[in-house]
Amino acid sequence: MSFLAFFFIVVSLLSFVVAQLVLKRAMVATRASGFRNARFVWKVTTGVVLMTISFFLTLGLLQRFDLSYLYPFQGLSVIFITLMAAAVLKEKLNLRLGIGALLISVGIVLVSLS
Amino acid sequence: MTNDGKKQIQNRPSGFGSPWLQLALSVACVLASEFLLKRGATEVANTDSAWSWTGVNGLASPLVWWAILLIIASFNSWLYVLRYIPITIAFPLSRVVDILVPLGCWIFLGELISPLRWCGIALVVAGLALVAKPIAQIEERL
Repeated sequence: MSFLAFFFIVVSLLSFVVAQLVLKRAMVATRASGFRNARFVWKVTTGVVLMTISFFLTLGLLQRFDLSYLYPFQGLSVIFITLMAAAVLKEKLNLRLGIGALLISVGIVLVSLS
Repeated sequence: MTNDGKKQIQNRPSGFGSPWLQLALSVACVLASEFLLKRGATEVANTDSAWSWTGVNGLASPLVWWAILLIIASFNSWLYVLRYIPITIAFPLSRVVDILVPLGCWIFLGELISPLRWCGIALVVAGLALVAKPIAQIEERL
C-alpha cells in the first residue's frame, strides 16, 4: 500500500468518526431546542460535509482496492467512535460496552482478512 | 448503562417511530448500498486518472446513484436513531452489517466462508450480544 493510499484511508476514517460525533451532538440538542435554529443547521451541515468527504474518498479507494481489503479499516471506526464518544460527548463507557466494541472491531478485521 | 442512557432509551417512541426499527432500516439500506457501490465503482473504474482518487468519476455509474439514494435513506433513519440512543450503543449495533455482508454472500451467492471468517463472525456476534444485553433487559421491564 502506498503512502497516498494510507493517507486517504486515515482521512476517510477520521472524517467519518468526527462526523458521527458532530451529528450525535446536533440530534441530542434537538430534544431541548428543536430543529429550527442556526446551531442545529450548522452542526448537521458540518456532519454531512464530513461524511461526504469520507464517502468520495472511499469511492476513490474502492476503485483501487477490494472491499475486503478496505473493510478492516472501517471496522476500526467502532473502537474510535466508542472511545471518542466517551471522551468528547461524555457518554459513560463501562467495561461491557468497551469489550463489546473491541470484539466487534476484531471480528470485523478477521472477517475482512480471511 | 448510565441513568442518562436509560432515560434516553425509555423515552423513545414506539411503532414505526421506534429507534430500534429505524436502526434496522438503516442497516438494511447500508447493506444494499455496499453491494451497489462496489459494483458501480468497479464498473466505471479508471485508475489512470489522478482525479479518480476523489471517487467523483464513480458518479458515472447509475448503480452509484441508487446507492446514494439508499445512503440518504439510511442517513435519515440514523439521525433519528442518534436522537434517542447513545452512540456508544447505536454505532456498535449498526456494525451488524459487517457480518450480514459475508453471510448474505454465503446464503444467496453460495460463496464459501473460511474458518477464520467464521471466527470473525462469531466475535462480532459476541460483541453485539454484550452491547445489546443491557438494552434487552430495559425493554423487558417496559
